[in-house]
Amino acid sequence: MSGNTIEMTEKDTNAPSGAILRTEGLTKNFGPLTALEDVSLEIPTDGITAIIGPNGAGKTTLFNTFTGKHAPTDGEIEFDGERIGGVEPHEIVRRGIVRSFQITNFFSALTALENVRLAAQARYSGFSPSDFLTHHASHKEPIADAEQVLERVGLDDVATETASNLAYGRRRHLEVAIALASEPRLLLMDEPTAGMSPEATTETVELIEDIASDTTVVIIEHDMDIVMDISDRIAVLNEGKLLTSGTPSEVQSDKRVQEAYLRGGGHE
Amino acid sequence: MSVLEFFRDDNAPRTGNQILSRQGRILLVIGIIGLAAVGPVAQSIQPFWVNLLVRMLAFALLALSLDFVFGYAGLLSFGHAAMYGAGGYTAALVVTQVTPNALIVLPAAVLVGMVVAALIGWLSVRARGIYFAMLTLAFAQLLYVVVFTDLPATIAGIETVTGGDNGLYGIGAYELAGVGLGDRLTYYFLTLGLVALSLAGLVRLANSPFGRVIQGIRENEDRIEFIGYDVQRYKIIAFAISGGFAGLAGGLYVPFQSVANPGLLHWTVSGELVVMVLLGGMGTFWGPMVGAGLIVFLEDRLGGVASWEVILGALFVLVVIFAPRGIAGTLISLRDDPSGAVERARQALQNYVREVRD
Repeated sequence: MSGNTIEMTEKDTNAPSGAILRTEGLTKNFGPLTALEDVSLEIPTDGITAIIGPNGAGKTTLFNTFTGKHAPTDGEIEFDGERIGGVEPHEIVRRGIVRSFQITNFFSALTALENVRLAAQARYSGFSPSDFLTHHASHKEPIADAEQVLERVGLDDVATETASNLAYGRRRHLEVAIALASEPRLLLMDEPTAGMSPEATTETVELIEDIASDTTVVIIEHDMDIVMDISDRIAVLNEGKLLTSGTPSEVQSDKRVQEAYLRGGGHE
Repeated sequence: MSVLEFFRDDNAPRTGNQILSRQGRILLVIGIIGLAAVGPVAQSIQPFWVNLLVRMLAFALLALSLDFVFGYAGLLSFGHAAMYGAGGYTAALVVTQVTPNALIVLPAAVLVGMVVAALIGWLSVRARGIYFAMLTLAFAQLLYVVVFTDLPATIAGIETVTGGDNGLYGIGAYELAGVGLGDRLTYYFLTLGLVALSLAGLVRLANSPFGRVIQGIRENEDRIEFIGYDVQRYKIIAFAISGGFAGLAGGLYVPFQSVANPGLLHWTVSGELVVMVLLGGMGTFWGPMVGAGLIVFLEDRLGGVASWEVILGALFVLVVIFAPRGIAGTLISLRDDPSGAVERARQALQNYVREVRD
């Protein structure tokens, strides 16, 4: 039931679009605990892929191996043809894999603009003398980029507000804005709509679809309505193993998925 | 950096959290001019006061260096005495063995402070919070023992390097461009000038792209790695920069006292320094400098009245209760809302009593 490589290609075209990320036999152990076991999976470059599965299935661990937080115990991760297993998190960000967090995880005491500018700055600055001796505000590109991203997520009117003073829904958008400012090629979103009101959820879904127009998006999501609505591909994890993957309708009709996860009709 | 550059504000209000407002900078410059005027006055009334002023300035610089990593980057160093002592001993050794030229001695003290800090930082930055503090304390005490037992002399098989528990004494005065700096007042001006330059330099660093990243590390270390920054590297560099300024403080203090003793590196110096930063108001740069000056002043004036540690302890308790954000925090809230001062003090006392009761 596991270990088989599942090809995830674009459903309606003959020309196979490439996979931006590919894992081969990916395994992660924490001591005696196996969080991921022999996961072989491909994330196609186009569209939105949803990772679903019951709690403790290994979804967040999978993200953590993609972003370099955890080095794989065994197996390979390839991003854009290059191995990234064991590469440092900051280096992975620079290569183009960026994640947003489930819990709001930003720089509370700084302004919304500074939160995003800091993320944009990483693409411009390093350790040259000017990075130490010039005023940060004299570097115009990161500020311009940050303002553009804030506008895209609809936060331009609160750019100078302190992040901790923002309302919940806007905090979650700031979270996404910080990730976008790194100019990801692959954006990993951990439960982007968790705890949101229905209106904020609709807004966020629109935002995700907008982002997916030029960026590969992978989401972890519990709300099955959203998953069925926005994803082009679904991968189902259970007990650290890849149960199956495919289009929403394929996954929905899969018996094993229904047994493991979608018991009682598939909708929460 | 030109003098005018120091006053430029660019579009800082949009990104916020700027170290020192324009108003604050103008006040600082007035303060420095005031201090320059105090020197000659003190000299004419009681020459010993100039000694006290130099000591206050040296500790202000040391507290500033600690505030850069503790208040601004969020790294609680409990071992800053190591860099201070290393700078001091370097100055003592270079003056006695090589040259009294200040242009060589002071950069050497800065460099050694940076190297010691980079080493301690490299060995400690993977630990966080209190574990980081304990590691820096441990490495600083290690260096203290090395100096106290004169380990370098034992290894090299020569009679003495650090002078062991006696330390090094009879250290001559600096020279600058062939002119001796033995005169107290001249030395005071040299110290004041270098402390002012250090403050300007650290303010610039704090507002630079690099400074913004270490501020982000203080705010959320877990996240900053996932927006593309090498956290360990930034921390080590910040720690090394801080160590350079601590080394400069030691290099300014030792030749002036003409003594370098192991006490410079003792953990009590590091501890007192943390108190200075907290008392002054961490993260503001000028607050810890004021705090350091005040503590050195009080120690000198009140040291004979009662046990100094008791006075310092009592003072610290009062600050924790009434001014948790230190002298700087209290002054800032006084400026923003002068009429609420009594109410705030009452509130603070009430909170404290409630905390203790529960």
